[in-house]
Amino acid sequence: MNAPLLELRNIETYYGPIMAIRGVSMTVNEGEIVAVLGANGAGKTTLLKTATGALDSNKGQVLLNGEEIQCRDPDWVARKGIAHVPEGREVFPFLTVAENLAMGAYNRDDKDGAAVDTETVYGYFPALREMRHKMAAYLSGGQQQMLAIGRGFMSRPRLLMLDEPSLGLSPVLVQEIFNIIIRLNREQGLTILLVEQNANVALKVSNRGYVMEVGGMVMDGPSDRLIESEDVKEFYLGKKEEGVRGRRRWKKRKTWR
Amino acid sequence: MSAVPVTVNGCDTLPKIFLKVSAERGEAIAMREKDFGIWQSYSWAHYRKRAMDVAHGLLSYGLQRGDVASIQSEDCREWLWADVGVMLAGGVVNGIYPTYQSRQVEHTLTDSNCRFLFVEDEEQLDKYLDIEDSLPGIERVFVFDWTGLRGFEHGKVESVADLYERGEDFGKEHPELVEQIVEQGMGDDLAALVYTSGTTGLPKGSLLSQRYIMYQMSMAPDYLRQGADDELLTYLPLCHIAERVFSGWLPIAHGATINFAESPETVMQNLREVSPTYMFAVPRVWEKFYSRITTAMSEATWIGRKAYEMAMRTGMQRAEKLIAGVPLTAIDKFRYALADRVVFRNIKKVLGLDRARNACSGAAPISPSLLKWFLAIGIAIDELWGQTELGIVTSTRKGVFRFGTVGPAFAGAEIRISDEGEIIARSDGQFSGYLNQPEKTAETIVDGWIRTGDVGELDEEGNLSITDRLNDIIITAGGKNITPSVMENELKFSPYISDAVIIGDKRKFLTCLVMIDQENVEHHAQTHSVPFTDYRSLCARPEIVQLVDAELKQVNEGFSSVEQIKKFRLIDVLLTAEDEELTPTMKLKRSFVSEKYSDLIDSMYAGEA
Repeated sequence: MNAPLLELRNIETYYGPIMAIRGVSMTVNEGEIVAVLGANGAGKTTLLKTATGALDSNKGQVLLNGEEIQCRDPDWVARKGIAHVPEGREVFPFLTVAENLAMGAYNRDDKDGAAVDTETVYGYFPALREMRHKMAAYLSGGQQQMLAIGRGFMSRPRLLMLDEPSLGLSPVLVQEIFNIIIRLNREQGLTILLVEQNANVALKVSNRGYVMEVGGMVMDGPSDRLIESEDVKEFYLGKKEEGVRGRRRWKKRKTWR
Repeated sequence: MSAVPVTVNGCDTLPKIFLKVSAERGEAIAMREKDFGIWQSYSWAHYRKRAMDVAHGLLSYGLQRGDVASIQSEDCREWLWADVGVMLAGGVVNGIYPTYQSRQVEHTLTDSNCRFLFVEDEEQLDKYLDIEDSLPGIERVFVFDWTGLRGFEHGKVESVADLYERGEDFGKEHPELVEQIVEQGMGDDLAALVYTSGTTGLPKGSLLSQRYIMYQMSMAPDYLRQGADDELLTYLPLCHIAERVFSGWLPIAHGATINFAESPETVMQNLREVSPTYMFAVPRVWEKFYSRITTAMSEATWIGRKAYEMAMRTGMQRAEKLIAGVPLTAIDKFRYALADRVVFRNIKKVLGLDRARNACSGAAPISPSLLKWFLAIGIAIDELWGQTELGIVTSTRKGVFRFGTVGPAFAGAEIRISDEGEIIARSDGQFSGYLNQPEKTAETIVDGWIRTGDVGELDEEGNLSITDRLNDIIITAGGKNITPSVMENELKFSPYISDAVIIGDKRKFLTCLVMIDQENVEHHAQTHSVPFTDYRSLCARPEIVQLVDAELKQVNEGFSSVEQIKKFRLIDVLLTAEDEELTPTMKLKRSFVSEKYSDLIDSMYAGEA
């Protein structure tokens, strides 16, 4: 078997004295969509930032195709082929849509290829084409998310990391964006690591999933199995038996099996 | 049956002594419990008031002498208020483990013909509501914690606060009623029902009389060294006879103060806050203390490790002298004092055992190596032995260290070894039989002596040592008798092994199912860069299998080749107290486990048949 595209081994990351990630291991194989679920503060974003070098880990390795890439500068990691679409879009507000996309291709030296990929992005997100000369600040939240994904795509990464793409979007838009994520994966062969609060959508589009709690992994498995797990159902999908009284407030103990 | 009444402080029942001492102790602190994170104290006067309210309230609902009321809750102050309250009214208390599922709850409520039920909160209440239809005998249900139930209405359910209020009113109308009922009480009255998890079949309800309670009370302070100035931490289920004796009944007789742990998860932290002077723990907890310290030491600085090693050498030398009964020289004492000051005192502080004058272990056999380690750091653990049917009837003596024995019988108790090697015993406070099970009772009580189901020996000084449970003894296909618990205890001494079950009855060789200690093994994996995601993947890592293998090999060295474990498997499901594989004190149930994991077991014998 080939080495996985991305592998994390026993990662520990601190914010000052606080251990935000306490030993996380996971893998992402070529061509997969992998979802990481977890509540606020579980360490999901920290995990992505550690993988891309925005944060340095105090222990453990990040392997991209078997090569160690932990604790390097983020631009170096980006050139290695990891694109990070951050939480909350973070598009460049005073640049136009086209300029934002061009920023995504900053590291590329094939001008023609970049031009083709710009067209590809406009193909996936027609709304962006119409707005291409507008400043990104004037875009709606959904359009900014599309732009952020498009910008990530422009570096032609081997791995696209998406940090909560559904944040603050209407259900219809969420559906739309996730449909495009699936298409990017199928049509462009893009491997995707997806961090999400919206467990329902994330587990439906992904092949495999991990569940994170207070800085550690508590469960992993194929997404269709996770979606059936009692604990995921109760704690992430908000489905629970109503109980005998019709309004159960207490929560079951999590077992993660 | 002995007709001699057992009395403590001139009383022959718990209600009598409770009324007497609670009046005397007044505002002295009886118990502490955290409320929103802050320790709150409750006096004996408060304890008495609430117990009286419960008694009056139940009487107002028509409780008759001998009626059963059940308490289904984690440990909390209301548990004990209800316990005493029910007895004051002449009722019988049945404790139900809060980890039980509805089906198990149903059995004990039906079997005991229970009329009144106390539940902790809405979670426990839901278990009752689930099976309400099959329990017409339950007349009233009282909820300790009404949180989340606002607006909930049900003909039979009310909050315990309402019961207190009702009881208060009823008490004003009938001022002398409880005292009269208590006065009429006798030592042979039934006091409590304790269901023991049957390894085969449904749980059996042991009938405990007032005499049983008084006998246990009378064993302090001579045998169970608990007194008025002791502080206790209550953290094992009160449904379990040991915690009931130590935290429920002995303090009533002798006035110790109890402190409720917030939850099973916070025990270690609560221990440090309370720093009890009297500490009862099951072996699993002592093992946890030990593995905590060894793990911490393995990561300490070089100087820290060296200091620990040196102190440990001094401590072990002292322990060996104490065991051998050799007097300590002045130099020994000086060196130990130094080791204590520099190292041991800190260890004890970290564990919350720095004030522990009396430490005891019971409810399961404990490894002698573990006892020796604790003696080395200056904690002499007494081993106790007993069972629900018998009460606690032996304890090792202070200052005498015969590890592997559980000490001589208490006054009022006698122990013999039957021809088959089984321990049979009787005591002035033994149980009265199993509820609704005359055949089982006849099997267990023979001519007034109780067949304990334990196999053991008595030495010339009368010290009892327990070999194993009679039913657990393994006879291999080669005809060799093996007592698994000795080896299992050695395995559990490893910080990486939480519990183990040895298998091999009618088999060619011994094998073992191992439950790893999640915390320590995860820690080991993390420090040694062994990647894993969840518990299952951790158990599947070859490095972890090797880790356990190494521990196993080390234990194997101490045993002859027929007694050695040839293969093992890890149980890769993280079990909780709610799972039927574990007893409420978190021990693996041998028969249940061997049945449930029969595939895993067969895989170890595959190709060998």
